[in-house]
Amino acid sequence: MSTFVELVVNGVSMGSVYALIALGFVIIFKATEVVNFAHASLLLAGGYVTAVLHDDLGFLLALGAGIAAAAGAGALVEVLVLRRARVENHAVLAIVTIGVDIVLTTELTRRIGTEVLSLGDPWRDRIVTVAGVSVAETRIAALVTATVLITAFLLAFRHTSWGVAMRAAAEDGETAALMGVRLTRVSLGAWALAGALAAVAALFLTVFPTPGLDRGTSFAAMKAFPAAILGGSTPPPARSPAA
Amino acid sequence: MNGANSVDGANGLTVTGLTVRFAGLTALDGVSFTVAPGTVHALIGPNGAGKSTCFNVLSGVYRAAAGSVRFGGGELTGLAPHRIAALGVARTFQNIALSGRQTVEDNLMLGRHRLTRAGFASAGLRLPRARREDARHRARVREIARFVGVDEHLGAPAGTLPYGAQKRVELARALAMEPSLLLLDEPVAGMDGGERRRMAEVVLAARADLDMTVLLVEHDMGMVMRLADRVTVLDFGRRIADGPPGEVQRDPAVVRAYLGGAAARGTAESDAHDAHDAHDSAEGGKGGEPG
Amino acid sequence: MSDPSPPPDGAPGRAPDRAPGRARTGTPGRAAALAQPLAGLRRPAVLAGAAGFLVLLALPFYLGAFWLQTGLFAMSAAIGAIGLNLLTGATGQLSMGHAFFLAVGAYGYVYLASDSGPHLAGLGLPTPLAFLGAIVLAGAAGGLFSPIAGRLRGTYLGIASLALIFIGQHVLFNAGSLTGGFNGRDVPPLRLPGLAFDDSPGLVLFDVPLGALERLWFLGLALLVPAAWTARGVLRGRPGRALNTIRDREVAAAVMGVPVARYRAGVFVLSSMYAGAAGALLALVFRRTVPEYFGMFLSLDYLAMIVIGGLGTAAGAVAGAVFVSALPQLLTRYGDDLPLVAAPGSGGVSPAEASRILYGAAVVAVVLFLPGGLLGLWSRLRAAATPRRGPRRPVPRLDEEEQPA
Repeated sequence: MSTFVELVVNGVSMGSVYALIALGFVIIFKATEVVNFAHASLLLAGGYVTAVLHDDLGFLLALGAGIAAAAGAGALVEVLVLRRARVENHAVLAIVTIGVDIVLTTELTRRIGTEVLSLGDPWRDRIVTVAGVSVAETRIAALVTATVLITAFLLAFRHTSWGVAMRAAAEDGETAALMGVRLTRVSLGAWALAGALAAVAALFLTVFPTPGLDRGTSFAAMKAFPAAILGGSTPPPARSPAA
Repeated sequence: MNGANSVDGANGLTVTGLTVRFAGLTALDGVSFTVAPGTVHALIGPNGAGKSTCFNVLSGVYRAAAGSVRFGGGELTGLAPHRIAALGVARTFQNIALSGRQTVEDNLMLGRHRLTRAGFASAGLRLPRARREDARHRARVREIARFVGVDEHLGAPAGTLPYGAQKRVELARALAMEPSLLLLDEPVAGMDGGERRRMAEVVLAARADLDMTVLLVEHDMGMVMRLADRVTVLDFGRRIADGPPGEVQRDPAVVRAYLGGAAARGTAESDAHDAHDAHDSAEGGKGGEPG
Repeated sequence: MSDPSPPPDGAPGRAPDRAPGRARTGTPGRAAALAQPLAGLRRPAVLAGAAGFLVLLALPFYLGAFWLQTGLFAMSAAIGAIGLNLLTGATGQLSMGHAFFLAVGAYGYVYLASDSGPHLAGLGLPTPLAFLGAIVLAGAAGGLFSPIAGRLRGTYLGIASLALIFIGQHVLFNAGSLTGGFNGRDVPPLRLPGLAFDDSPGLVLFDVPLGALERLWFLGLALLVPAAWTARGVLRGRPGRALNTIRDREVAAAVMGVPVARYRAGVFVLSSMYAGAAGALLALVFRRTVPEYFGMFLSLDYLAMIVIGGLGTAAGAVAGAVFVSALPQLLTRYGDDLPLVAAPGSGGVSPAEASRILYGAAVVAVVLFLPGGLLGLWSRLRAAATPRRGPRRPVPRLDEEEQPA
C-alpha cells in the first residue's frame, strides 16, 4: 500500500512539473497561435543560469536569475524574431522557433559539455517519511510549487486585465485588437511567462532523484509536448494541461 | 415554402426550415425559400441577418441543426463541401478567398478540379492522359478568363491584383467549375460604379450562356433590383419577406428591418446611387464591354 | 513559373516579345513567361539543366572520397527534403515525424535485404527489391498515420507527429532483432545484375577505378533526378494546385471540390515515401544504420532545409539540402583556417556545433529577411541582372508578403 502511495505521489509530482512546461507552451500557443519548439531551449537556459550562479549567489537568488534569464530570453525571441517575421503561415513561424531552438540548444549543450550540473537546491536527497510512506522532499517541493503556480496562473487568467486580454486574443485576435487589446503586449507577456515557468520546471526536472542538469535535459523537456497536445487544443481554464 | 415538387429534378434549389445555431446563438431560424431553375434569386437583409451563414450551409462549410436543402432532386444537407461541389454547386466568397501566391490561371484551374482526374501519379509522371486533360482545361479556363475580363492577369499571382480584379477572378473561378448552381456572396462589395455594372453584365450573360441558377447575397439594392427575379429577405435569422423585387421593396416588414438597423442610411444612399447606375447600364449594356 | 502563354487574341502590343532571338535570352521569370512561346522559354533552362547534369555525372571522376560522401549525403537529404517540401512547403502541414520515415526506409531496406541470422532477422530479398520494398514500407507507415495527418491542420499535425519520433526511437533501441538495438545493423550493399554498389574491384571507366562511393554517386543521381522531376510534376499539376490552395485557403479548396482530408493524407503518404527512399539511400552510403541518428534533430534539420532553400518547390528543397548537408562538412574540412571554430573536444566551438548554430541562425534570417529562401534569392538576383524588357502590361505592384511558392 505504501509503495502504491509513493508511486502516486511521485507520479503526480512529475506530472505537475511537466504541466508547468506544457502550460508555458500552451500559453504561447493560445496567445499567438505559434507552436514554440524553442520551449525546451528556454528551459535549458533557465536551468543553466541557475546552475552556474548558485555557488556565488545562493540558491534563491540564482533561481531568480535563472527565471529572469529564461523570461528575458523568451521576450527577446518574441521581440527580435516573431514580431518581425511577417508570415501568414503558422507552420513557418513554428519552424522559426526551431531555428532559435537549434542555436540556443547547441550553444548551451556545448557549454554544459559532458558535465552534470547541480542547481544547488536546498532539499538535496532528503526523504520525508510519514505513516510509512517515504517521499523525497524535492518531489513535495515540486508538487507544491507547481500547484501554486498553476493556480495563480488560472486565477490571473480569469480575473486580471491581462488574463482577459489574453483570452480575447486567443478567441479572436483581430476583434480583440479592434477592442483595444494590445496584441503585442499580450504576446510579449506570454513569451516571458512561458520562459519563467520553464525555468522553474528546469529546477524540478533536475533535482533528486535526477542527477542534475545535463545535455539531455532539453530532450526530457520535450516529453512534456504530448501533455501540451492533450491540453493545448482547448483554452487552459476548460481543461488543465496537468491532466 | 412548399414549392419543392415544382423545382425538383432540374437545377432548382429548395431550402426548408433551415436552422443553424452557434453556441446558443440562433443564426438561422427555420428559413425556407425556393429558387426556380434558371433564375437569379437574391438573399438580402441587414448585417448579421444570416445570409452568409445560409451560404455556408448551402456549400457545406457549416452544418445545419435542422432543416433540409435540396438541389436538383438530391439532398445537400450533411454532405461535405467537396461532395456538394461535385454536384455542380459553386460559390464565391465575400472576403476574397483566392490562393494569393498562385497565378490567376492556377486559381482558375482549381475550379476545374471537380471536372478533372489527374492524381499524384499521373501528374507526377506527366502521363499523356494528364497532359491532354491539362491542355484541354487550360483552353477552357482562358476562355472563361476572357469572358469575365481577367485574361490580362492570367500569369500574375492572384494576391498582387487590385481588389476589383480579384473579385472578378473569384467569379471566374466559380464559373470554371461549370456550375449549375452559382452562389454569389456580395460579388460587387467595395467596387465602384463601373465595376459593378460590368459585374452585373457578366453574371447575367453567364446565366444565359451557361444555363445556371444563381443565388445572390448582396447589400447593393440597385444590383439586386437589376439582377434578381425573386428576393428573399432575412432579418435576425428569420425570413421576413419573399417575392418579386418590386413587391419586396415596398413590404412594410422589410422597410422596418432596414430602417430599424444601422443599415438605414446606407440603403437610402445606395438606392439613389443605384438609380443612377441602372440608368448608366441601360445605355452601356448594349454597347458591350470588352471581355 | 513556366505557365504557357495566353492565346494570342486580345493581346495587342505583345508581338515584339515573340521575336525568336529575344525570346531565347529572355527572363524565364513570371512576366516574361507570359508572353513568350513555350519553346523559347524552356530552351535555355533545358540547356542549363543538361549542362549541370553532365557536370554532376563527371564529378566522381575528379572528386575524392570526402566530397563524394558529402555529395551523397546531400543527394539523400535532397530526396527527403523534396518529400517534406511537398507536405510542409506546398500544403502547409508541419511534420516533425520526417526522421521516423527516414528510419523506416533505412531499417526497412536492411531488414528486407539482410539474410536472417542467429540474432538479427531479415528476409534476404534481392537488394533492388528490398530498396523498392523500403519505399513501400515507408509509404505504408505514412498510410497508417494518415488518418491523423488528414484531419489535423498545419501546426497541430506538427505537434502530433512528434509522437512518431518518440515511438521511432523507442522501437529502434528496443526491437533488437529487427534493428540491432543500440549498435544498429550493417547495411548489405545494393546489387544490380552485373553491378554491385560496393568496393569490389574490376569496374574501371576512363582509367578511373570506380569504388563504392563513385558507384553510389550514380545511383544517387538516378534516384534524385526522377524524384525531383516527379515532385515538380505533382506540384505544377492538378494535385499541386489543390495542395497549395489547402495551404492558402482551406475552405475555398473544399468548396471548389477538393477533398481536403484525402489530399492531406495522400501528400503525407507521398512525403513518407520520399523519406523512405532518402533513408534507404542514406543507409547504403553509411553502410551501417544507427538509431540515435534518426531522432528529433534529424527532423529539425529537414525543416531547416526547406525553409532555407525555399518552401514549396523541389528546387528549393534541393538547394536547402545541399546547404545544410554541406555546411558541417565544409566547416570540418576548413575549420582550422576559420576563427572561432576549434577542434572537437578542445572546449571551443566544434565544426559540427558551429554548423548547427549557423544554420539555425540561417533559418531565422531567411524567414526574417529572405522570404523565398535561397531559391527566392537566386530568382531575385537573376531578375535584377536581366534588363527589364517585360511586356507592357498592367503588372500589379509586388505584394510584400508574396513568397514564390
